[in-house]
Amino acid sequence: MIGFLLKGILNDKSRSVLPVIVVSIGAALTVLLNCWLKGVMGESLVMNANFNTGHVKVMTHAYAQESEQMPNDLAILGIDSLVTQLKSEYPDMDWVKRIRFGGLIDFPDEKGETRAQGPIVGWAIDLLSSSTEETRRFNIRESLVSGVPPAKPGDALISHELAEKFKVNPGHKFTLFGTTMDGGMAFRNFTVSGTVRFGSFVLDRGAIVIDISDAQHALAMEDAAGEVLGFFHDGKYDDKQATSVVATFGVKHSDKADEFAPVMIKLKDQGGMAEYIDYSETMGGIMIFVFVLAMSIVLWNAGLLGGLRRYKEFGIRLALGEDKKHVYTTLIYEGILIGAIGSISGTAIGLGISYYLQVVGLDISSSMKNSSLMMPSVVRAAITPAAFYIGFIPGLFSMVLGNALSGVGIYKRNTAQLFKELEV
Amino acid sequence: MLSMQLAFRNLIGAGLRTWLNVTVLSFAFVVIVFYNGMLDGWNMQAINDTRDWEIGKGQLWHASYDRYDPFTIQDSHGGISGHIRSMVAAGRVTPILITQASAYPAGRMLNVVIKGIDPDQRILELPTQSLAQTTNELPAIIGKRMASRAHLKKGDQVLIRWRDKNGTFDAREITIVSIFDSNVPTIDNGQFWIPLAKMQQMTGMTNEATLLVSREPLNNEAVEPWIYKDEKYLLKEFGEIMQQKKGSNKIIYGLLLSIALLGIFDSQVLSIFRRQKEIGTYIALGMTRSQVLKVFTVEGSAHSILALGLGALYGIPVLAYLHQRGIPMPKSADDAGIAISESIIPLYSFGMVLSTILLVVISSTIVSYLPARKISRMNPTDALKGKIQ
Amino acid sequence: MKTLMIIGFVFLGVALRAQDPKKILDKVDQNMSSENRMFESTMTIHGKRNSRSISSRSWSEGSQKSFTEYLSPASEKGTKMLKLEKQLWIYSPTTDRTIQISGHMLRQSVMGSDLSYEDMMEDRKLTDVYAAKLVGEEKIGDRNTWVLELTAVVEDIAYYKQKVWIDTEKYVPLRQELFAKSGQILKRMELQEVKMIESRWFPTLVIYKDMLKEGKGTEFRMTNIKFNVKIPDYIFTKAALKQ
Repeated sequence: MIGFLLKGILNDKSRSVLPVIVVSIGAALTVLLNCWLKGVMGESLVMNANFNTGHVKVMTHAYAQESEQMPNDLAILGIDSLVTQLKSEYPDMDWVKRIRFGGLIDFPDEKGETRAQGPIVGWAIDLLSSSTEETRRFNIRESLVSGVPPAKPGDALISHELAEKFKVNPGHKFTLFGTTMDGGMAFRNFTVSGTVRFGSFVLDRGAIVIDISDAQHALAMEDAAGEVLGFFHDGKYDDKQATSVVATFGVKHSDKADEFAPVMIKLKDQGGMAEYIDYSETMGGIMIFVFVLAMSIVLWNAGLLGGLRRYKEFGIRLALGEDKKHVYTTLIYEGILIGAIGSISGTAIGLGISYYLQVVGLDISSSMKNSSLMMPSVVRAAITPAAFYIGFIPGLFSMVLGNALSGVGIYKRNTAQLFKELEV
Repeated sequence: MLSMQLAFRNLIGAGLRTWLNVTVLSFAFVVIVFYNGMLDGWNMQAINDTRDWEIGKGQLWHASYDRYDPFTIQDSHGGISGHIRSMVAAGRVTPILITQASAYPAGRMLNVVIKGIDPDQRILELPTQSLAQTTNELPAIIGKRMASRAHLKKGDQVLIRWRDKNGTFDAREITIVSIFDSNVPTIDNGQFWIPLAKMQQMTGMTNEATLLVSREPLNNEAVEPWIYKDEKYLLKEFGEIMQQKKGSNKIIYGLLLSIALLGIFDSQVLSIFRRQKEIGTYIALGMTRSQVLKVFTVEGSAHSILALGLGALYGIPVLAYLHQRGIPMPKSADDAGIAISESIIPLYSFGMVLSTILLVVISSTIVSYLPARKISRMNPTDALKGKIQ
Repeated sequence: MKTLMIIGFVFLGVALRAQDPKKILDKVDQNMSSENRMFESTMTIHGKRNSRSISSRSWSEGSQKSFTEYLSPASEKGTKMLKLEKQLWIYSPTTDRTIQISGHMLRQSVMGSDLSYEDMMEDRKLTDVYAAKLVGEEKIGDRNTWVLELTAVVEDIAYYKQKVWIDTEKYVPLRQELFAKSGQILKRMELQEVKMIESRWFPTLVIYKDMLKEGKGTEFRMTNIKFNVKIPDYIFTKAALKQ
């Protein structure tokens, strides 16, 4: 019977096209809203994770104590073996070295003497290896105001504001003057490859981003790094998983007596993130509930309308001697088919748009040109597992419910009346 | 008028179908009002708190002061004289002197900023009177964020080291006499507030200030050599953060509204399909096509009127309750550097509600009109026969 | 007993009066200051995790000009520092850049030590910037010392007060404490291994300790000290940094 009905739906455009379109649009909107909401709610979380906390973060005990001050003298030594170990122990996570540092950025005049200088906060991340995810995490391509992303050692990005203040452009050289891990003077020349605006207060005032190996050379941290950040491969923070990773890591590596033993902290335990996560989950949940409810009502209505549209047909079918129950059952089955087709195509469309919005994002920065806040100027959607099924709630269930309710009419009225009402 | 009556009668007559559409549209209406109310409330609260705790109604800055560049602090101080002095005496402005320092809680070193403020000032809500009421040699008040970061509590002493105007080191134990709880992080993080006179004496900057906070806007007053920064300038970022929030929320309620409109659209398509004979009859009776089109458009947009009514029915109590109770916010939300209280009192302005109403009515009129355009192309005879597919 | 104490006080009083603190300081300056000098030094910095030593060669002329070239470790080799009056430049061979250090940066610690750039730059004669008062006598190790309290007579000075323990025979400081205006101790220096160099006594090992910070302090050991040698003028130019 399904095959027969499917044939009917496919051939009889008048009874299928509009409902399928409506269900598709509805499911697509639901999926889109779900992803958008997750994206927006998680935006500052994602930004925090990407720039600061990772999903989990490994530091030495001593470094963790005063991590705000970027105490690289307390950095993790033997970092490469630690990262290798982490990679083999937790292969489903991406482990990256990071160094944060303070220093002085110094632009030379033609004689190589100081023309201008200023304090900076630096981020050293893996910019250059072919498989690096870090450029995406730092949203570098989208944040570029001028120039290109670093492509070779010695390239650096500087915040656009800094570039304007010091009147420099891509191609200009500068010297980073800082402190090596053991307290010595650190010097290294860099070339500005591009200027960036991250849309964040902290970064845009005076930040530079350089490759991790450049920083390791410059700061005499050859086999050291301040922090190792771990990210789940799907880019989403999963507290349960993070908790178990932290626990197993703790068993293997923790040494309370050693100040320089590594310690792992999950995102939720860093700087007040816990409340934020709980809050945004609750708020997001409420919003999605309202939305799915609204969509369900609309599609329920669509189901009703779809049934009503076909009273004429039911009248004829009943007149031809078809059993009421059979008419009703076919109506429900059709509802299921239309709901399923609509939900599938709608979910696909919704996911497509969401994916686009996740990758490209929506730039709302035009109205906030000189923004100085730790706020992203590009808002992105986030595709979660729920996005794959949430469209079916209104799409399938509501459609069928609507059809079922409208079909009740078949039982209520007798054949003659139906027939007459529709005046065939 | 007739078309209105007709429209409502037809709608109510459609029963469940109408009410489903109306319910959804009313959701959209209430959610939009709620969201905007929340953001406006937040904005208002943040602005008020910042004004009360930090910026007053404007500030007078020393020429070289830049609030975002800590390296300007060293040279940003100047004498208070002439007119400004009389303004201080009249309580119209209150001076604040700022210097960088190091604090040594438990052998660690923290870079901090010390701010001198008149304990008797009445312009900012900082509990400066506790600086006056103490017999402590060098009392300080700090915010809750600073207290937790430096692990300090009331009564604790902490050594601070600073330099006077000549660069000579000085160091003293400072006593925390009070810890204040403010929503404004920018007067809290990394800061000690001490009595202005002490500060001037400690730094040798007699009768000097870095900036002055004003009680009233000082738009046309000569304040040279100080530079007047009005409220608008000082609050520039609030506009930006709200713009950003509103931007992304527009998408959310835009989607919700489009769902509701989708329902109306679907209903309209069906009614025009089902009621061909009625349309034909209207035309046969002498109504012009555009008049009929109007009837159907009005009927569709009447959804929005019902939705407004329904929305008001449950929305007003809910929103009023939220206004009374406030909307709880997470504590770490102020990481962005903007003031946020533990709960936000949403603010529903007349203009905002009105523009939401217009948005809902106009958008539903448009989606009602779109399918009804078909009517203008209808052949009345075919319509009467019900033969249009 | 009482008589004994009175005699003791009288004796002490005579001894104190016999010494004019200004004259003591003058004699100290004679030992410590010179028209120009050069020396090699090794600075040992005790970090939280490890200690490291940095060696350098320095030339200075009067109190306004000095030039230092770092010799080891390899990472610092070739780094040069030039100070002319209130200005400081650092040259790094790896980047071939001369960077001027100014303002707030001067207050940073040099190479993680307990000395700031500013500390290094402050080398005015004690008698020029402080008024001295003899406050007592103490023994440091087996050496007798006068304890002088120095109070700043100029305004632009980092440490308002100092307490200096001066060897009563050799006229060199053996200990120096630097105080904030409030009297809070900020830094302490122990000067040891006093040697006779070119007819003057000179402490060749100084241990600096920042009293507000945890840590073991910084050792500064001088070797190869030569006073009043002819230093070519070009040494104190920016051009010399690049050579």
